[in-house]
Order: sequence, then structure tokens, then C-alpha cells
Amino acid sequence: MEVLAKIAFGMYALIILCGGAVTVTAQSLVRALIGLIATLFAVAGMYLLLAAPLIAFMQILIYVGAVCVLIFFAIMLTRASGEGKEAATPTARPAHQYANAVLVLLAPAVFLSWVIIRHPAKSVPVPAKVTVAELGKGLLEPYTLSFELISVVLLVAMAGAVLLIWEKRRKE
Amino acid sequence: MSALALYQLVAVMLFCIGIYGVTWRRSLVGMLISVELMLNGAGLSIVAAAQLTPASAVLGQLATLLVMGLAAAEATLVLAIIIVIARRFETTETDAVPELKG
Repeated sequence: MEVLAKIAFGMYALIILCGGAVTVTAQSLVRALIGLIATLFAVAGMYLLLAAPLIAFMQILIYVGAVCVLIFFAIMLTRASGEGKEAATPTARPAHQYANAVLVLLAPAVFLSWVIIRHPAKSVPVPAKVTVAELGKGLLEPYTLSFELISVVLLVAMAGAVLLIWEKRRKE
Repeated sequence: MSALALYQLVAVMLFCIGIYGVTWRRSLVGMLISVELMLNGAGLSIVAAAQLTPASAVLGQLATLLVMGLAAAEATLVLAIIIVIARRFETTETDAVPELKG
């Protein structure tokens, strides 16, 4: 079992790396979205390995089911051409842009990895077991306020989105 | 290296790929996709820290659920903003919309 878990972890990490690379480098936005979906599924697999099945299912339900469909709508509604190319006329970029992007990639990567490796936290080898009933109890007893607040945030975001688009349409 | 450190390194990798995408992408939709990657890195890090340390596991899993809810709210609002920009400028490329006031 130990070996199987390691193999699964390596596989998921590989999918995350490749999917992430496709997500940020693909010319076509639809391909980038497919890369994102692959990455999200691999992260859901990591949640399963961490013994958090509810979070894994929520990851698939919320991210793949709702957020990715929303992003697909964004691509569809803003693009006249069916190809979904990111830039209509891709131009060459100056060298300092490459340098900046690589710097932005490396600076947090090196610093955070250094912190993680040099100052390891006290950890247990086997993930804690949490039942769904305990999660529901936590959501309704000690953390009720955050639960209510997130629903208010979602409502405000939805109303704000409708309002943003509505005003523009009324002026036309 | 402990299992916790491995999971944290994967989360850092996700975060850094996302931040690279935010700087590298030319369109607003591409930047939105990259921000989702960064948020996933944060979620993975929180769940790993909750499950593999003596800290409260319930709190960590609920925090990740809240991060997912915030990500959904953020995606909704960004979609609306992108549509407004696309109507006004007829493009969503970031180089084409440099003005804040217009």
C-alpha cells in the first residue's frame, strides 16, 4: 500500500506539472482550459491521498463543474473567432519580459522551497481521519459565522455580476 | 523528507506556475485561468497542513471549502468584468486596454 501511494503521488504530481505547463503556455485558450481541468483532477487525487474525500469531490464539483464552465463561457462570450487564440496577432516580446517572467517564477519558488526544506514542520506520517458528519458539525457549530459570510459573499458577487452587465445594456 | 514537505512542494509548484501565468498571459481570460491555479495551490497546502500535522483537521478542510467558495465568487465577478471590457474595447488583450479611466 505504501508503494502504491507513492506511485499515485508521483503520477498526480506529474499530471499537475504537465497540466500547469499547458495551462500557462498554450496559445489557444481552450487548450489552456483543458490543461487546467487536468490539473484540477490531479489535485482532487491528491486530496484523496490525503484522506479528504469530501474536499476531493467538492473540488471536482465546484472547480470542474462550475468554475471551468464559467471560464469557458468567458472564452465564448468574448471571442469572435472560433479558434480561441489568445492574441489575434501574436507579436514577439522583448527580452526583458522573458527575464521578468522567469524572475517572478523563480523568486517565490526558491524562497518557499527553502523555507519548507530548511524548517520542516512537525508532521504525522498518516493523515488524520475526519468524517463528513464532523465536518458538518464544525460548519454549523464553531464556524457558523464564516459559513454564513461565504453565502453572503456569493450572493453579493452574483448580484454584482448581474448589475455590472445590466447597466451597460440599459445605456445602449 | 516528510510527506508533508512533499505535498507543500507540490503546492508551491502550483502557486509558482500560476504566478508565472499571471505575468505571462496576454488576455484577461488567461490571467483568470492562472489565478485559479494559484488558488488551488493554496487549497492543497492548507489541506496537507491540516491532515498531516497535529493541528485541527476539521478547521483545515473547512478553510479549503471556503477558499473554493471564494474562488467561485471571484470567477463570477471577473467574468462580468471581462464581458464589460469586451463590450467597451472589443478585445480582452491586456495590452489593448491600458487606461483605467475612460
